[in-house]
Amino acid sequence: MLEALSLTKAYNGHTALNNLNLTVAAGEVFCLLGANGAGKTTTINLFLNFIPPTSGTAKVNGIDVASHPLESKRYLAYIPEQVMLYRNLTGIENLSYFTELAGCEKYSQAKLLDFLTAAGLQAEAADKRVGSYSKGMRQKVGIAIATARNAKALLLDEPTSGLDPKASNEFSELLKRLSGNGAAILMATHDLFRAKETGTRVGIMKHGNMVAHMKTEELGHADLERIYLEHMHD
Amino acid sequence: MLFLIAKNDWRNIRADRTLWAIALLLTTTILYGVHNGASWVDFQKRTIQGALADEAERHAAIKQGIEDANAGRTSPPSWKDPRSPYAVGYRLGSRFATMPPAPLAALAVGQSDLLPYYFRVTVNSRDTMLGNDELENPVHLLSGRFDLAFVIIYLFPLVILAVSYNLISGDKEDGTLALTLSTPVSLPSLAMGKIAFRAAFVLTLGAVLSVAGALLSGIDLSAPGAAPRLLLWMGAVAAYSIFWFGLAVLINAMGRNSATNALALSGLWLVFVLLIPSLLNVGIKTAHPVPSRVEMIQAMRHASDAVTAERSRLMAEFLEDHPELAPAASADTNAQFAVRSVAMTEELERRIQPVLDEFDKRISRQQQLADQYRFLSPAILTQAALYDLAGTGVHRYKHFLNLAANYHQQWQAHIQPKMMQTVKLSTASIDELPRWHWQEEDTADVLGRAGTHTAALALTAAFVIAIGVLALRRFPVVG
Repeated sequence: MLEALSLTKAYNGHTALNNLNLTVAAGEVFCLLGANGAGKTTTINLFLNFIPPTSGTAKVNGIDVASHPLESKRYLAYIPEQVMLYRNLTGIENLSYFTELAGCEKYSQAKLLDFLTAAGLQAEAADKRVGSYSKGMRQKVGIAIATARNAKALLLDEPTSGLDPKASNEFSELLKRLSGNGAAILMATHDLFRAKETGTRVGIMKHGNMVAHMKTEELGHADLERIYLEHMHD
Repeated sequence: MLFLIAKNDWRNIRADRTLWAIALLLTTTILYGVHNGASWVDFQKRTIQGALADEAERHAAIKQGIEDANAGRTSPPSWKDPRSPYAVGYRLGSRFATMPPAPLAALAVGQSDLLPYYFRVTVNSRDTMLGNDELENPVHLLSGRFDLAFVIIYLFPLVILAVSYNLISGDKEDGTLALTLSTPVSLPSLAMGKIAFRAAFVLTLGAVLSVAGALLSGIDLSAPGAAPRLLLWMGAVAAYSIFWFGLAVLINAMGRNSATNALALSGLWLVFVLLIPSLLNVGIKTAHPVPSRVEMIQAMRHASDAVTAERSRLMAEFLEDHPELAPAASADTNAQFAVRSVAMTEELERRIQPVLDEFDKRISRQQQLADQYRFLSPAILTQAALYDLAGTGVHRYKHFLNLAANYHQQWQAHIQPKMMQTVKLSTASIDELPRWHWQEEDTADVLGRAGTHTAALALTAAFVIAIGVLALRRFPVVG
């Protein structure tokens, strides 16, 4: 699970994230909504320890990421907006490398192929170089990595932007399956529809502050859009 | 973990043409360099053989001449009489003092193509033999032959920088860095894993090709000291390479893009390989200028002229000092001539000595300064170590000069008394002429000096790597 305690990040006086308190429990999908620069990516980067917090703590599975970065990452998988893999390696080779790097057991080729096909990648693509993959295919390898790593917490940064509706839908189904298996998922997105569909909770961010958060089951699609736009007005 | 990263790096990079282009470049340059060195060594060996054959021929001719003259078949004039110690000592019987190429000489031509490796030793004054060329600062001679040492000092760093300038920045630009660092891998581990693969690739290729080239070109590794020298050579090359990999890590840690890194690293290459050595050279020459060679030759001529002009007075003085050598009034002109020539040689050597001493003093001051400041650039340190191990540097040359000077003294001491006593040489006394014995430098001394340089290199490399790894902790993974 993921936990932010008074998490704050400031750059040269500009507050990118202000006093965020957030808990994403196992099986939950929390969607961060907000305009560009609202602090969504900053939050995710703080959980990955890619940037140090100005104050507050980010915890993964109860482990402070700033003081124990390597340990915390054992429970963490990350799918960025663009899953960039080693272009000269095949899908299977990439999957094999990233899972081994994460300290997982060494999977057999058949098992690796299973992970890829389960993530929706066509079996014949698995042996092709990633350089020839579309974005959707690379995102699927990203999902396969997260699945194979058996991650307890998943950080996603606009993973479906630029995907066609069908690919986007498939992606959402995979997320649901992962959260069904007990992963805590934190996803930054611009896609209100997808947030309502996949998310269990949504939070709206503005200028580094979490200005609203709610459960999706209590909302209709129209409600979410209305609330979002209300908050976007200055 | 490191192995996994290195293995992945290998799989990823082998699909790239750059690596194979670099491998091809290294292969050709290394083999060409070794070939060049080997042909120079071959030339030296043949020259020395030629000199020795000439010597043997002359000595056989002298013996034949002695027999002929004794039997009355010939009556040579005194100046080329093979029985005359004067004629034999000055010209006919002169022997060569030679410095054979060291076992690893083919690996580094060094300064050996500028400095003499054989002298013709006669009873004449020492300056006529040694020529006393200026010992060039090693740094200045970097633009020497295209040998293996040149490949290592100049091209190796470029190859290393070509495969590591984008070590981390490339991953960041490709986007794989974020995914990698979302796993429990630290940036230093990633950097070290990638370095490990690249270093293993470049060094293995370099080592295998160097040894293969060396063996093909006829280096005898069973020669005394050859194997430990070669091992230390490899050590110096490894330390030098690791220094450059360390620099690449350090520059990558600054978090700039790959293009900036490439520019910065080429700049550092210029500084360490070209700029510091040249500035150091200029600085040393300015601080301790060596008198011009023309000046030295002038001084010698003056001394020689003066000695000739004053020969009667000098002769009288000499005889006062050595009354036992005074030829009887009835002595033949040959004896008088011999005594006079010995006296004049002695006086000439005495007068020229201060000039030579001054020259030597300046040179050794330059050398001292060069020794002190060579730690400023790993390129200079490496060169010093490699030349020393190949036996083509300053140290072995000085060792040769000393041996040759001793031999010259031995020669004079043997011939001069015979000249003055106008002894007639027999065939047996030709065999008794002092023989030249080359004595190789003490391997322990060479290994000690080169070992110190290698240790200094290794320390520098370790320091740069350590700073690089520390700096990686502040690397901006995002932004």
